[in-house]
Amino acid sequence: MANNNGHANGKRPQGAEPKGSSLYEVLKGIDFERRQLVGKPKGTGLLGLVEKPEGGYRCYSCTLCERICPVDAIELEYCPEFPEELFDIEAARAAALTTLPGESCGAASACVMGEQPAAFQAPIDMKLLDPAIAGIRSGSGLVEAMHAAQEAYGYLPRLALEAIAEEMHLAFSRVYGVASFYSQFRLKPVGKYVIDVCMGTACHVAGAPLVLEAFSQELEVPVGDTTPDGLFTLQTVNCVGACALAPVVRLGDDETFGRMGPNEARRLVRRLRKQEAAV
Amino acid sequence: MSAPLIGAALQAVIDAGSGAYLADDARTEIRICAGTACHASGRVALKKAVDAALRERGLAGQVAVIETGCHGFCEQGPIMVLRPRGIFYPRVKPKDVPEIIDTSVVGDGIVERLLYKHPETGESLALERDIPFYALQTRVVLGLNGKVDPFSLDDYLAHGGYTALAKVLSDGDPVAVIDEIEGSGLRGRGGAGFPTGKKWRASRRNPGDVHYVICNADEGDPGAFMDRSVLEGNPHSVIEGMIIAAYAIGASNGPVAGYVYVRHEYPFAVDRLRFALEQARERGLLGKDILGSGFDFDIRINQGAGAFVCGESTALTASIEGLRGMPRGKHIRTAAHGLWGQPTNLNNVESYANVPWIINNGADTFAATGTETSKGTKIFSLTGKVVNGGLIEVPMGTTLRQVIFDIGGGMLPGRHFKAVQLGGPSGGCLPAPLLDEPIDFESLLAAGSMMGSGGMVVVDDTTCMVDFAKFFLKFTAEESCGKCVPCRVGATRMLEILERICAGQATAGNIGLLEALAEDVGEGSLCALGGSAPNPVLSTLRYFRDEVMAHVEEHRCPAGVCRALIRYRIDEEACTGCRACISACPSSAVAGERKQVHVIDQKLCIKCDACRQACRFDAVRVDTGVLTPAGRRRR
Repeated sequence: MANNNGHANGKRPQGAEPKGSSLYEVLKGIDFERRQLVGKPKGTGLLGLVEKPEGGYRCYSCTLCERICPVDAIELEYCPEFPEELFDIEAARAAALTTLPGESCGAASACVMGEQPAAFQAPIDMKLLDPAIAGIRSGSGLVEAMHAAQEAYGYLPRLALEAIAEEMHLAFSRVYGVASFYSQFRLKPVGKYVIDVCMGTACHVAGAPLVLEAFSQELEVPVGDTTPDGLFTLQTVNCVGACALAPVVRLGDDETFGRMGPNEARRLVRRLRKQEAAV
Repeated sequence: MSAPLIGAALQAVIDAGSGAYLADDARTEIRICAGTACHASGRVALKKAVDAALRERGLAGQVAVIETGCHGFCEQGPIMVLRPRGIFYPRVKPKDVPEIIDTSVVGDGIVERLLYKHPETGESLALERDIPFYALQTRVVLGLNGKVDPFSLDDYLAHGGYTALAKVLSDGDPVAVIDEIEGSGLRGRGGAGFPTGKKWRASRRNPGDVHYVICNADEGDPGAFMDRSVLEGNPHSVIEGMIIAAYAIGASNGPVAGYVYVRHEYPFAVDRLRFALEQARERGLLGKDILGSGFDFDIRINQGAGAFVCGESTALTASIEGLRGMPRGKHIRTAAHGLWGQPTNLNNVESYANVPWIINNGADTFAATGTETSKGTKIFSLTGKVVNGGLIEVPMGTTLRQVIFDIGGGMLPGRHFKAVQLGGPSGGCLPAPLLDEPIDFESLLAAGSMMGSGGMVVVDDTTCMVDFAKFFLKFTAEESCGKCVPCRVGATRMLEILERICAGQATAGNIGLLEALAEDVGEGSLCALGGSAPNPVLSTLRYFRDEVMAHVEEHRCPAGVCRALIRYRIDEEACTGCRACISACPSSAVAGERKQVHVIDQKLCIKCDACRQACRFDAVRVDTGVLTPAGRRRR
């Protein structure tokens, strides 16, 4: 944004030179009379203050002086060598959204070249969202719609949440607030195998923390994360209600393993890894 | 509509069924438990084996194979019961199926070696009703669990289902229904124990455009699964209870609508409930003009999404409305201002499941069991370090000892009872001297615990009570919705103190601070989650103070659990040098040659317990307390 390099007239002000560092010293040295005598145009007087003792400007072009001046003595003019460009937020957002990782969107944004822009959204297949949208039209609630969306994608992509917000005539922030409140909703994609370690009371007493730790070490990811190869996601669940088999581990939605220990946990991961390598 | 016509309408619904289901003992049936625990123990493979064996013998179609809800004896899964004789086969493996079919279905013998053995006498028990686990229970709500096919409305009808509804509709007096429920003394089974009849009366009295009837199946307490089992095993009993409640509250009082708020973590329960609702709707038991009575009512399912606080009534209604599940102050109850601002009646699954039984058998019969203030029976999910874990239904007033030792079979061999935790994260731990305490709402509250939804976790001497209290507090701190400060900040600060105690870094002053903080959090929190969050800590300080002080003063964890205070060591005499621990150790901390004593390098040891579990000779020991370099305890 090169619009307000706003020293009056774009020239070096010709006001009094600061004499000292304190404001009192500075004000004392100003010849207020001279401005009138010389008949300088409005805006040249006090701006001398922004000069640093060693030369150069202190001014950051914040334009605050113009806004708060009690006698309207300051008027900004824009430098002709920097033509005024309005910032088009829509164009910048569109450019950022269509940019792939590793490309520059061309906007003078804070993104560093080569990094994924903050607002980057991987494209998703919006058709998969149809059941959720149909559910909303038949009167289901927001939480239900999110369950449907998560079933379709495995997680809640931002674009899907935006579509749900639009369909339900809600602010996106409200939809996002609900999505982030409930622990069952995931905002990041999950791996092929989702490992849910039950952390219910019976499982805790039977040693579930050790099992969880063994999984975390064997997969080399913290709890809640997905392995870089996209195979495993490690999660905890509060209670799956199979307490007689504690500690319980659920793999995906269908398989449940009971009476697990750290050794069984490591073996399970190794078996699945081997299975994947064979395919 | 007059009474005979409603009876005729119900008969028409029964007649419209396939007729494939008959009441008990009428034909040969194989009932396989399809509860979550038995599913995990391999009931799918069992069902396949049974089907294949029957096909081979040309019996397919003659012998009915029915997958039922939870039988409750989860420790012994997968469970198979042969009717009409009621022969109980626990832990059935697919390879044993042909033998069972040949002996007990084709012939009339019993496979002796596969039967359940009495834990003390070792005698084989063939019949379900002889097994102490079942014999000592009083199954009212769970009566049909394991008997009816949860996917069949006909089966429920064959066992006398929906007769209570027909009775209520025939009588045509909603206020009389409320009187009946109030007279029975039924109290809410979700934990707080509010009188159900009183709640219904308040909901009915409050004016609104619509009255809502909600079933709370958001069973968030870790270690409790009775609601899940009822929904999985007998969903129609809950639906029937809800319709009766809706009739009592809403009939001649404006429209009523129903919701079931069920946890997303219970996929089987959701499926079965959804199926049951569709069936009931198809057959005219739900929807417009139920059984020709002119009364309209329908039920929707709403799934939760993993927030414990949504079990709280106002947070639950907020969640149904599509908001963050945060509770509000309850100076005005949901009975007056609930879902979408309308009068709302909210009961637990188990409470609704009691209703048809009360209507059918009368309030006095129900009130005959139980204690002065707590009537009827209560289901507990008995878990933890106990021999017979599972679902247990006993009359109120039964003592903890009867439940844990007589029905639950006591502790695992070689272990000693230390405490029983009731009421989940809101409850407390009770020590051995309180084992003869009767179970009812008031006695448990006085003892510093609470009934809660009925989770009963038994722990033995290998559980550290400080770590146990920390577990519950961590749970509440994580599940705190963040709306009010005492709960959000207070629970976190309390957790930090407990973490310091477990790490051996706490000072004696921390205990006083913990107690003061617990009081503030309990008093200042907005809802019951924060209000009861300090209970596990307070009960631990009350009954297990010695153990807490051992952590603080001696830096010793008597149970050998708190990682900062323990050390793994291999017993030189017991070690056989089998290398099992060496291959199990993930951090290569164990070293040693075959047939020579192994050693653990304390610098590399991450205390993951893998070696101790891998050792078959019990040679890996856990030391605690201040250790001298030689690994001996100083004190």
